[in-house]
Amino acid sequence: MSAALVIARRDLLAVVRSRSQLYSSMLTPILFLVFLGNGVSHGLEPANLPDGNFTAYLVAGAVVMTSVFSSTFSSASYYRDRDSGVLRLLASAPVHPRVLLLGKSLAALAIGVVQAMAVLLLAAPFVDFEWQYGLVAGLFVSLAAIVLVNLMLTGLAQALASRIQTMQGFHLLMNLALFPLLFFSGAFFPIDGLPAWLRVLAFVNPLTYAVDALELAVYASGDATFIGLGVDFAVLAVLAAGTYLVGLARTPKLTYSGA
Amino acid sequence: MAQYAVRASNITRGYGGRKALDGFSLDVPAACVFGLLGPNGSGKSTFIAMLAATEPPETGSLEILGGSPSRALRCRLATVFQENTADPLMRAGEYLRFAGRVFGVPSSELSTRIPELLERFGLGDRAADPVSSLSGGMRRRLEAARALLHRPELLLLDEPTTGIDAEERAILWETLRSSADAVTILLATNDLSEADAVCDSVAFIQGGRVVASGSPAQLKAGLRRESVRIAWPTASEGELAEVAGWPGTGEVARDGDIVVVTTDEASTFVPRLFALAPGAVRSVTIATASLEDAYFQHVQRRTGEASR
Repeated sequence: MSAALVIARRDLLAVVRSRSQLYSSMLTPILFLVFLGNGVSHGLEPANLPDGNFTAYLVAGAVVMTSVFSSTFSSASYYRDRDSGVLRLLASAPVHPRVLLLGKSLAALAIGVVQAMAVLLLAAPFVDFEWQYGLVAGLFVSLAAIVLVNLMLTGLAQALASRIQTMQGFHLLMNLALFPLLFFSGAFFPIDGLPAWLRVLAFVNPLTYAVDALELAVYASGDATFIGLGVDFAVLAVLAAGTYLVGLARTPKLTYSGA
Repeated sequence: MAQYAVRASNITRGYGGRKALDGFSLDVPAACVFGLLGPNGSGKSTFIAMLAATEPPETGSLEILGGSPSRALRCRLATVFQENTADPLMRAGEYLRFAGRVFGVPSSELSTRIPELLERFGLGDRAADPVSSLSGGMRRRLEAARALLHRPELLLLDEPTTGIDAEERAILWETLRSSADAVTILLATNDLSEADAVCDSVAFIQGGRVVASGSPAQLKAGLRRESVRIAWPTASEGELAEVAGWPGTGEVARDGDIVVVTTDEASTFVPRLFALAPGAVRSVTIATASLEDAYFQHVQRRTGEASR
């Protein structure tokens, strides 16, 4: 029994000392309560949904959410490479660390785009999409939006992964940054029905523009209540280019050091 | 080819207020196997790391393969690190292709080079196996094969045989020496017998600097001919000082209950010892002087009390 208590005490100490674990366990449920509850109570009335079909409405959000998860998991491979020793080998190779980052981000981007497009295409047979610009143009607009949002998220994840020491800390920061953005992006409920202060947050949220572009491409039958593709792509393109370049510029400390 | 593969002069390198290298100077002749020997934390891995990264030192000068440290120079170096660098999710052949491409070897050349090296290191039938399925010794051989892929001129080995058995160690060294003919090998190790067996020259390192260097034979030549290990728990400082003063006696060092003495003639030393401490000496072992004896002559034991 005393051994069990000693082990329990050691585990408790580890949790108390690992602040990321403490915060992440509590913050995500709190975010759900405050933001999802608020948004659903204001926005999830059939009258507030453009076509009254919540399943079809969720597809754009699901595609953006796939990009969020994909970029997070792909960038976490940085930690796997560090632990398996691959980074150590690369640190001794005649390539600049930015080349390494570029290679890793290209893989993350490719995975994110394929996964997000797969979610969209898998949903298509089960949901009554409008494809208001036609199927081919709609798919092209969707692909462009997905590429840009993945570029932006990969850049962000990479910039964080190359500077944060632990994978737990990385996941905590990504969750803290991206879950609120998802809630206020129109991914789960329309932003039109939100209180004014939440709408302001939605409009400074880059994911809002990705969700908007995807909804316009696959779901909306008009664009009266949407932001518009021009603004969506302008915002996404600027942010994607900026974030991706920042991600590449954050050269990791790839040194092999011993004593 | 430059006369020296590495020339380091008065190098300093600090980590968090501690000097890992402090006035480190060393010349490593080209095309030899050179050993860096020293206790943990002595600075040998730091020096290897500096060479592997081709980083210029904070102070002092460093010349690698006749040139200043630069990223471009890394194509001419290879490092086998203490830990494996192979991704366990990759297959052995895939890993070598990945590493070869990163080091700039053309894909067409790798198609012949990889099977050739795998065969040479006894892994010819394991190319398609996941790295995770290879034994510890096989992974070390895979690392050695990886290091030779791009035909380096300087091979840095940081404790490459740690954790593998004697047979694997022998296979690794045999293959390395036959595969890396004109290559300079710089070996950092704690294993004195390994260094004695494979190195043409060695340097003893302590406190971030070289305290002695030369060929194993030169370093051993400075010693008395025989090494006597005495189990003598009650030996006093006075008794050890008396032993140290006997004619023909070299180093006297204590490590716990064991006293190690080098002497010209064990046959006269041992009877004298039993006369000095009758009943107190539990056992005596006599051996020919080894590189280990030379090492302990130059490198202070951390826990022992050197009496002279």
